[in-house]
Amino acid sequence: MTEIQDALEEIESVVGSDYVTDKDFMKAAYSRNVDPAFPDRWADMIVRPSTTEEVSDIVKIANKYKIRMVPRGGGADLVGGSVTQGGILFDMTRMNHIVEVNADDFYCVVECGITWGALVSELHAKGLTTGVLGPGSGYSATIGGGLSNSTAGFGSTKYGLVPDICLGVEVVLPNPEGTILQTGVAANKYAKPFARYGVTPDFTGLFMGDVGTMGIKTKAFLRLAPLPPLRALRYYMLIKNDYNMVSKLLKQLRDKVGDGISDILVIPYPVVRIQAGIAKNKPAKKSRLTGSVFMIGFEAFDQRIIDVYLEQVEEIMTKDGICRSFEMHEIDLDEPLTTDWQFNLKMAFNYFNRFISIVPDMISCTTCHKIPISYIAEAEKKSHDFDAKFHSEFPNKSLSLFATVIYALPNGNCVFVGGFNGYNTEDQQPIAMNLWHKKLRAQVHYGGAHYWLGESISQSIVEAGAYSPEFAAFFKDAKKMVDPNFLLSPEKFHMHQYDEPLSKYEVEDEPY
Amino acid sequence: MAETNSSEKFKHLSKLEKNILQCISCGDCRELTDNTLDPPNWGVCVAREHTTGFEPFFGRGKMQIIRSLWQGKLELSEDMANVIFQCPTCNACSKACYYGLNTVDYYEALRAELVDAGCALDVHNEMNQGLLENLNPYGQDNAQKKNWLDQLDFTVKDASSEPVEVLYFTGCTAALSAAVQPVAINTAKVLHKLGIDFGVLGGAEICCGSVAMRTGARQVFQEIAEKNAALFQKIGVKTIITSCAGCYRTLKIDYKDMLEGSGIEVMHTVEFLEKYLRENGIQLKNLGIHVTYHDPCHTGRHIGLYEPPRALLRQMATLTEMKNIKEHAKCCGAGGGVKKAFPQLALDIAKTRIQEAEETGADYIVSICPFCDRNLADAIQETGSAMQVKDLLELVEQALE
Repeated sequence: MTEIQDALEEIESVVGSDYVTDKDFMKAAYSRNVDPAFPDRWADMIVRPSTTEEVSDIVKIANKYKIRMVPRGGGADLVGGSVTQGGILFDMTRMNHIVEVNADDFYCVVECGITWGALVSELHAKGLTTGVLGPGSGYSATIGGGLSNSTAGFGSTKYGLVPDICLGVEVVLPNPEGTILQTGVAANKYAKPFARYGVTPDFTGLFMGDVGTMGIKTKAFLRLAPLPPLRALRYYMLIKNDYNMVSKLLKQLRDKVGDGISDILVIPYPVVRIQAGIAKNKPAKKSRLTGSVFMIGFEAFDQRIIDVYLEQVEEIMTKDGICRSFEMHEIDLDEPLTTDWQFNLKMAFNYFNRFISIVPDMISCTTCHKIPISYIAEAEKKSHDFDAKFHSEFPNKSLSLFATVIYALPNGNCVFVGGFNGYNTEDQQPIAMNLWHKKLRAQVHYGGAHYWLGESISQSIVEAGAYSPEFAAFFKDAKKMVDPNFLLSPEKFHMHQYDEPLSKYEVEDEPY
Repeated sequence: MAETNSSEKFKHLSKLEKNILQCISCGDCRELTDNTLDPPNWGVCVAREHTTGFEPFFGRGKMQIIRSLWQGKLELSEDMANVIFQCPTCNACSKACYYGLNTVDYYEALRAELVDAGCALDVHNEMNQGLLENLNPYGQDNAQKKNWLDQLDFTVKDASSEPVEVLYFTGCTAALSAAVQPVAINTAKVLHKLGIDFGVLGGAEICCGSVAMRTGARQVFQEIAEKNAALFQKIGVKTIITSCAGCYRTLKIDYKDMLEGSGIEVMHTVEFLEKYLRENGIQLKNLGIHVTYHDPCHTGRHIGLYEPPRALLRQMATLTEMKNIKEHAKCCGAGGGVKKAFPQLALDIAKTRIQEAEETGADYIVSICPFCDRNLADAIQETGSAMQVKDLLELVEQALE
């Protein structure tokens, strides 16, 4: 403990004694995130740096004493990504400033601890937007967390994932020198951070979706777009519950409407029924629920254009009686009619919260992953087969959903936002954790691409044997180059030490 | 099971046992910024904004501490108390919570556990001990609570000896603090002008116990509250009004079980007056002033009294709203024992609210809570702002023809 105490004192001299703590109740407050299946993890200390230079100095101290480090943004993740057993936990939310909004050249520079809620709110007031609004937990999730987890969220159907709008980052490498780098065209020290590609290979990508393993991101350079002033929303319900039809409709919408659509969320049939069941303000007359519901968002700069999009979508969705127009108001009177609907961030940032704890004191073990849209029906079937085969291994009364939402992304792929719920108690956590890994491995085996990796999902990918030996070696070499003392976010991707093959952690699963 | 022992160990938290594990730790209670809402919502937790900002300073961290205590992983401590009491219990985090957890109930239960474990703050201990001895938290002779009546040119009934339709529960701050006495004086003048049959308890009025409840001294609160409940029932009053947001919340919510079946209705004076004036077709005079309105947490988020003060203000003045209003209103920082134990924090929070009020261009910031009035006035004095604090009752008194 002496080394920890020595390090603490040195860190105090960097940030001041008010901004680093090793008190037990503080550690307890940082001991977990949304995830239910992880045991509590107490850091040795929590530090709230305010500048990139402070981060760099702390990294140097950590290297001096060989103390592990984990950066934490909003602490809103569900996959064990931003807690640490022992070591230094960086609470990055003090670095929450907007450094520059360049409305002429459509980019901004922000500190990575700012939340999506704060940034997007500020941008919208200036008639600008990031397009993709960050993860569903965006009120509390930070820009840094969104980049480190390659997340999707509202706007992703049109604008892509969070890294797609990233033009570069300022990052502190976890090496003994605490090296500070800027990527993107900002690698040219004479250039403004206005573009991602050029000057160097795309080193920005090294830090996207890295779940905090390759460096500590302190600033982000983000692409901006003008904020379309006009928005509309429509719902359509499938007359038959047919996931092949979901794929066909998603393709047709992509083919014929394209960028007019900002969001397509398909709410699977079972979830529609759950939503009808948990609605606080149910209508007297029950609506006839027949299939999955498409929620389609539109945006444009001109009402005439919106009208054309609405007409095109209406034609695609209702042709041959495939779908009917639907209103969420039919199952929940608190939901506005689409004709009265007005965009607000609360909808974008609270949409997913409702599914995290459908049953009190049970929290979702998330299995969010991407698949090609042509594979939706097959993946849905595989998920059901898995649940049936391993039914007895689920936590008691657990509800497993292959997707609470199918979220369309650009280029013909989509996210299955799904999972099952487990109890938030120590005796139940191992049950949920074992099944969680098993289910994730099954999804990796059918070609699913997880993006929000944290610890549980990154380890499951390794356990499933997804990486070739050549790729695993390349990955480790890259990690070793930036983190020679192996201090930043250990455990993720089952990288426990450099001289150990990842294949050691592969798991042979029973077929289903 | 740790939880089984916890039920015995933490008697206050055990009443909330069912939902202790429901906080999903999403963190929306930290800031939840959204200017696309109407009204917009900029930030949530004033305590976090004016402290070092570690997690225990806002909702999620407190809920994780409670969970860790409940699961036997953490012990109560004075260090913990020093942070947990730096919260004005404004309940903004509750409004930000997707699952609607009434977070203040948890924080107050945690405070009660800290007090029972001997970890209370010294200044709160002294205050609550004084409350038991003096029946007010200001260490003054409680008989002085009748002194403000001397400033009236009419007689107010003594509700402890005469029957009254309405008991005006003055509250300790308005009765004993010279700077805030105008709240009591104006309330009485308004009631008198309207010919309402009301009375006060004067020197016999016992503190509502709010400060004890908010600072975790539940035994003190219980003792005080029982005395009050017995007194109210003895005098046979059916309507209690108060011009103090803290008394209002306490009498209406914390006394609920004790007053159940008594037929006593508790109202804020403003709520009572708005209804009375509306039902009797009485219009208030326009005073030609420009005001903004500060929602006290105890009348606002704790109870939902948003429209009656605004309805009265619109008759008397030009009302320009601040950026954060109603359920999103920023706390003045005085509540929850913060003003007593952490006066600088209370002042810092109030300064931010005054800055927000200044942005409206109004000349007056109006409220309906003596405690808010006082803290906001302190912030004005500190910053040299040209803005003035007015209690709504003062304006009503001027505006009644």
